[in-house]
Amino acid sequence: MSVQDTLLRAAAITKRYPGTTALDAVDFTLRRGSVHVLIGENGAGKSTLVRILAGVELPTSGHLEMDGHELRLASTRDADSHGIGIIYQELSLFPNLTVVENIFLGRELTRGRLLVDRSAQERLARELLQRLEQDIDIHAAVGTLPLGRQQIVEICRALARDVRVLLMDEPTSALSPGEIHVLFRVIRELKAAGVGIVYISHKLEELMEIGDEVTVLRDGRRVAAAELAAVDVNWIIENMTGRRWEPPPQQEVSGGAPALLRVAGLSVPGRVHDASFHVAAGEVVGIYGLMGAGRTELLEALAGVRPASAGEIRLDGQRLDRQPVWERIARGVALSPEDRQSAGLVPTFSLGENMTLASLARHSRRGCLSAAAERGSTLDLISKLHIKSTGPRQPITALSGGNQQKAVIAKCLLTSPRVLLMDEPSRGVDVGARSEIFEIARRLAAGGMAILFSSSDLHEVLTLADRVLVMAGGRITASFARRQFTEQALVAAASAKPGGLHDRT
Amino acid sequence: MARNFCLTLFACVLFTTACQQGSGGKKSIAVITPSHDNPFFKSEADAASARAAALGYSVTVNTHDDDAHKQDQLFDVAIAEGASAIILDNAGADASVAAVAKARAAGIPAFLIDREINANGVAAAQIVSNNYQGAVLGAQEFARLMGEKGAYAELLGRESDTNAQVRTRGYHEVLDKYPSLKLAAQQSANWSQTEAFQKMETMLQANPALKGVIAGNDTMALGAAAALKAAGRRDVIVVGFDGSPDVLAAIRAGDIRATVLQPAARIAVLAVDQAHRYLTTGSSGAPEKQSIDCELVTPQNVDQFGVFARK
Amino acid sequence: MTERDHALNAAPAARRIPVAELFFRLRALLALLVLVAVFSALSPAFLSSGNLVILIKHVAINAILAVGMTFVILTGGIDLSVGSVAGLAGIVAGGLISVGLPLPVFGVAVYFQVWLVVLIAVLAGTAVGALNGVLITRFSVAPFIATLGTMYVARGAALLISNGATFPNLFGRPDLGNTGFPWLGAGRILMVPVPIWLMVILGAAGAFVAARTPFGRRIYAIGGNERAAQLSGVRVNRVKLAAYMISGCCASVVGLVLASQLVAAHPATGETFELNAIAAVVLGGTSLMGGRGSVGGSIAGAFVIGVLADGLVLLGVSQFWQIVIKGVVIVVAVLLDQMQKRFSWRETSA
Ligand SMILES: Nc1ncnc2c1ncn2[C@@H]1O[C@H](COP(=O)(O)OP(=O)(O)OP(=O)(O)O)[C@@H](O)[C@H]1O
Ligand SMILES: [Mg+2]
Repeated sequence: MSVQDTLLRAAAITKRYPGTTALDAVDFTLRRGSVHVLIGENGAGKSTLVRILAGVELPTSGHLEMDGHELRLASTRDADSHGIGIIYQELSLFPNLTVVENIFLGRELTRGRLLVDRSAQERLARELLQRLEQDIDIHAAVGTLPLGRQQIVEICRALARDVRVLLMDEPTSALSPGEIHVLFRVIRELKAAGVGIVYISHKLEELMEIGDEVTVLRDGRRVAAAELAAVDVNWIIENMTGRRWEPPPQQEVSGGAPALLRVAGLSVPGRVHDASFHVAAGEVVGIYGLMGAGRTELLEALAGVRPASAGEIRLDGQRLDRQPVWERIARGVALSPEDRQSAGLVPTFSLGENMTLASLARHSRRGCLSAAAERGSTLDLISKLHIKSTGPRQPITALSGGNQQKAVIAKCLLTSPRVLLMDEPSRGVDVGARSEIFEIARRLAAGGMAILFSSSDLHEVLTLADRVLVMAGGRITASFARRQFTEQALVAAASAKPGGLHDRT
Repeated sequence: MARNFCLTLFACVLFTTACQQGSGGKKSIAVITPSHDNPFFKSEADAASARAAALGYSVTVNTHDDDAHKQDQLFDVAIAEGASAIILDNAGADASVAAVAKARAAGIPAFLIDREINANGVAAAQIVSNNYQGAVLGAQEFARLMGEKGAYAELLGRESDTNAQVRTRGYHEVLDKYPSLKLAAQQSANWSQTEAFQKMETMLQANPALKGVIAGNDTMALGAAAALKAAGRRDVIVVGFDGSPDVLAAIRAGDIRATVLQPAARIAVLAVDQAHRYLTTGSSGAPEKQSIDCELVTPQNVDQFGVFARK
Repeated sequence: MTERDHALNAAPAARRIPVAELFFRLRALLALLVLVAVFSALSPAFLSSGNLVILIKHVAINAILAVGMTFVILTGGIDLSVGSVAGLAGIVAGGLISVGLPLPVFGVAVYFQVWLVVLIAVLAGTAVGALNGVLITRFSVAPFIATLGTMYVARGAALLISNGATFPNLFGRPDLGNTGFPWLGAGRILMVPVPIWLMVILGAAGAFVAARTPFGRRIYAIGGNERAAQLSGVRVNRVKLAAYMISGCCASVVGLVLASQLVAAHPATGETFELNAIAAVVLGGTSLMGGRGSVGGSIAGAFVIGVLADGLVLLGVSQFWQIVIKGVVIVVAVLLDQMQKRFSWRETSA
């Protein structure tokens, strides 16, 4: 590559946190009009690197260059003025503000310097959403939107500004294939306009499709870099993990076990219509569907977080539908929610405190919390799930995104659930850890635990589930046993117009 | 629809009965005072309403809780109900002028008791106890009890309150004349018994040689007396101001040595009498500003006093 | 602002420089040490054992309120009714001792033994706390509004019970068997006044419950992220209800102590006490957003306020200055809290 092509360069960047070296002398070069993919296991330092490029944090040592000139970024305002935009891994939106307000927050379009030019903002916001082919009410409060749509708003926020460098930290973790497709179109347009893009994701197929170059980070060090065209998925995984990659062993389908969870005619007003299915002990069932299909609402209704208007939920024959959340947890139904920030984690707690929150009774002796018991089970799961941290006492907010996700799942596992509900469990989790989570879940399932998880990642569903339920428009439109499912069948069922199958919605 | 109609009808009936009560037969007097959680105001209101009832008026009693805005609303109600006269212990010397003027414009005379307003010729009468004279009286007795010498402490009322200022001025007018009387500590206890208790305890620590305490009102005197009793210092002389029934009891018990009685009940009765005269003859027969002297209560004469009045 | 906030969320430090951390964590204690040093230098009476005992006795009032208030604020709520509840509890006790419980049907009044009187008064205060909790959890009234309402209700109830008057001379009568009430405020155990014991016992119990029991952990979880807590099986409504009941209970203990000290119950007792308690809690490092803080900190905060108040009286400083100085101390404490956040952010990124 030629020097003139270089847009942004980071040289020997080191970032130390007390107890961790997040980045260790990392070099990184971004070319004009190209997509540079960053990949690495959870906690490898990807987010830290882009946060430094965006002026959110200062490196401990090392320096940045833009267009061949030294670049000093003391704040995100500096980065902004150099045309560097960022899409954060954890959404940085204000739930109480509307979509337009969020898109333009901090850089409102003004008339005469004082008045906010509302109509111009609204026009631009509509244009942006149109470009992303999204039909979102721009006056809706962001907090009322489902997570995927919030992510779209976050993306609009970055696009509202003319940028030369766009840093995208897992922008698609809550999007389904349709939206991702559109996003990729937009990325290609930006590329054509000469924008340099840094792209982080754990979805390997996605990276192969959109990326031009790849840099692999492992434990804060740059271990490899290449043109993507020259490498394959196995190369990436081997460099990420430092081990040869072996595909996870295909699980035996446990047939014939009795149904543990039975759901009949479950409805959530406007979201889920008349869902009936069952999950057998020891079975792993995936729910596949597009954004807005009602997967999250279904799982929330099962966990008791969202009231159902009709239907029956039975665990081992016992009615669950009238029980509050805590009672369902006590009976053995635990949910790992989709949005870990707003529903999964207590940000003021340490890693360990978060992990034991749902199983405090189990970690108490004679009415008092037992530090020893807490330590025992948290250390155990930290090592089993490879949660990269300095220990249970590390504040949860100091963990990388994927490791926070693992902490939420660990919390559910500590309740010893009989039915484990996981909404997009691998959001932000790296490939290796993804199969580990399911493996551990399966091992715990040896005692007869059933798993019901949702995913918008087709690949994940195909490799991990024994059986797949497909949802569309709030209805379960199909159910496939392992031997039956193919990509085409699933996609067809997911985009089925429910109106065709049923007379009314 | 039908329900709404019924409600409206019901409201109309209520309203007409209310109006009849107000305007029919009897003339009415509205009594408006600060909150009755202070027995002083309660006895004031009780005395006024008893007297008015005895004179054949129907009476409404309300409290403005020292909120000028609420007082204004109470005036509106009184005007709407067609009260013949208003007896008022007002919610602020300046803030109350407008309300009193409004009543006057509506043809309703207001008779002010206990506190003055900063305007002349608006109220039909302003009858107050003479705080300054009372303070001088109390201070003279205090000096006598102290033997005209020794260290003493003073508990002030809320420092932004006019009465607190007038009283402390009266005290010092007398006490500062005695060179051997030393003011060892001076603290505000905001008219509050609890606060007086705590401040007294602390002042006693700083000045173990205290011989006496003079308080700006009776609640503070009671707080100080309780603290002194708890500290086993019954030798310390306590003098209060107001003449509340609790302090009269404390004087009988020997915990407090003297207080100055504000004739609140007497003033209230006086105001009602003048209102009655005004309503029947067109003149109250007294000047607008009247100041009624306070009386000293000591163990010797305590049995002659009742609730804010001589028996 | 947005970006910075994001940075705050994304990267609070795992560990800070210990000295700086200690300084911020223990700011209430440090402030306390400074105050004690200043006052003992300025007034010889300050460090006398007699004065210290009285000082701690005064602190106890606010500290006991602050213990209950801490639980409420940790959940992200606020309790404005504590002052009124203290007044109500005092009046209930005062009424039961001096006029008994009138039973108009039988034309008699029942008098209770003092321990029963105390129990009934505490139950009354706890009931107001429960009312707060129910309004806030079942009817989703904002804590500020709900407790503002009960603040007036409780005060009004106290006035109604006593008809606005004070219940004086609460010594009880030997023939009725209800003597002994003054012991609560003026009694001593092992030379130490009872109110101080109450503070020590309630403070220790509160600190233990908050730090070492599942209930305490749940309180913190609700303040940290209520939704996540609920999804983790925390019975949010119940826990909040309990927090407000604890606050009501502590407030009624304070009311009893005050009435007992004065041997009289006045319905206006406790006005503006809620503000002192909130100030103590905030000074002690508890975040008004909930989720962070400690009972021990609140007690330290109560000591700062109490030492300041008594010290200034001891020095004979005027009321106006006392108010100004107290305000300044509170603002500085909260500023330090903000600085701590910013500081920790710099530490990680510098
Ligand atoms: N504020 C902090 N204090 C201490 N350690 C931190 C802090 N922020 C990040 N770290 C640590 O730095 C390392 C790198 O974190 P980073 O967020 O960059 O990982 P990542 O590659 O983005 O992972 P993921 O794929 O899970 O998002 C992790 O081990 C993390 O625990
Ligand atoms: Mg990350």
